[in-house]
Amino acid sequence: MTAALSAAPPVLQLDRVTRRRAGRVAVQDLNLELAPGQVLGLLGVNGAGKSTTLSMIAGALRPDAGAIRLNGEDFLERPELARRLVGWLPERAPVWPELSVMEHLDAHGRLRGLHGAALREARGAIIERLELQPLARRLAGILSQGQRQRLGLACALLHRPALLVLDEPANALDPVQVGALRELIREQAAAGTAVILSTHVLVEVTAVCDRVAILHEGRLHHDGPVRADDHAALERRFFGIAMQGATPAACAA
Amino acid sequence: MTLLAVFRLELRRLLVQPLAWVLLALGLAWLGWCFTRLLGDFLAGEIQRAALPLLGQLAQIAFLVVPLLAMSTLAGERRNGTLPLLFAAGVPASRIVLGKYLALLPWLLAWLLLTLAMPLALAHTTTPDWGKLAAATLGIALMLAALAALAVAASAFTSHPAIAAVVALLLGLALWTVNLGAQMAGIDGGAINWLAMSTHGQNLLRGLVSTADILWFVLLVAVCLALATRRLAADKERG
Repeated sequence: MTAALSAAPPVLQLDRVTRRRAGRVAVQDLNLELAPGQVLGLLGVNGAGKSTTLSMIAGALRPDAGAIRLNGEDFLERPELARRLVGWLPERAPVWPELSVMEHLDAHGRLRGLHGAALREARGAIIERLELQPLARRLAGILSQGQRQRLGLACALLHRPALLVLDEPANALDPVQVGALRELIREQAAAGTAVILSTHVLVEVTAVCDRVAILHEGRLHHDGPVRADDHAALERRFFGIAMQGATPAACAA
Repeated sequence: MTLLAVFRLELRRLLVQPLAWVLLALGLAWLGWCFTRLLGDFLAGEIQRAALPLLGQLAQIAFLVVPLLAMSTLAGERRNGTLPLLFAAGVPASRIVLGKYLALLPWLLAWLLLTLAMPLALAHTTTPDWGKLAAATLGIALMLAALAALAVAASAFTSHPAIAAVVALLLGLALWTVNLGAQMAGIDGGAINWLAMSTHGQNLLRGLVSTADILWFVLLVAVCLALATRRLAADKERG
């Protein structure tokens, strides 16, 4: 991330965001900011609140309390902001099995406000960038999980969002595809797109992220920079929070 | 524009599913067979003696065909996990429901027109009662639209398309026959008769067009779509 980009006003601001799910608090008083070009790794054990947080940022779920701002504007009052500014790859990349890869891109493009020549141009570019040409006419229902992840990624990137939200994007990808995914994330960040990457794989965070946030039982326990050569330190911190149930105060120290 | 995007998405999903074509083919094959049997009446000289019973047959199989056609509209989205994608695109629940409902209508209209084409192909050899035929066509169109709305509502309340189809079939039949007891007891008026779809549908099929009957169908469509919207909005709230 360049100094110029980090000095830019945040693309995303979460202000005391709280959400209950299935009768328990899934996310509580979450504060988070993300500048253009930043890549934030979101870590946490299962049930820590990562997917709930990402669903709220993507606009698929409303918070019970707190505010989410995109480019300084409250997107709970203006849901169309999420449509324009956010690209979201949910966990397991859901698809319409009866539609082809091309039809998926068309449907997502239209839902995100792209039409006519702009849609065709964006579709062509993303198919080429993610090397989806051989799959373009294949039905999504018969794609492998790895191919579905690539299709989901293409749908998330199609409208050139300012904020890319990736929930376990490396699921079912082979090592070569994981390498390509990392390259894509770096490329997006270099172009000024803010990226949130939720993962269980710590090495993914040290490989591509410049910041890491650790959620535990719905609360933010750590938010700080991360370096590529700092894997051991990240591991100690993560397991310290995840295994010992540390308090936020203890972890901040 | 988001309504149009949902409409096009649903229409595409419908057209690429073999189920829609199989239903169309089987439905038309059955109606073609019925029409052939009714040709005897037609040869007696009155097109409506063939056309109106044919539309009646269409109404009967619509109770089964429409729920099967519409069962995946929302239940399928929930099962695939694609509903959050629509929410994340900022599409309000009302537009999701309306877009999906509207996408069913061209298919149903095509079914109705293809059925009508059978008796109308013979229209030049006789003098049909166009008014009566138009009223019956309007009645069937309203009935198909109402059954589709009922099926969309049923689809909004489950993740299993088969359950949605069964519930829509049972609700449709219940709505048609709710006044059966009253009819057998010789009661012609009252709320129970007003509630029954048969009261309003049969008037139109007989060629009697009344605003009250048309409004009953419009009201049913509105209530069903409102219920589906409410359920979908609750889904978004619950997550």
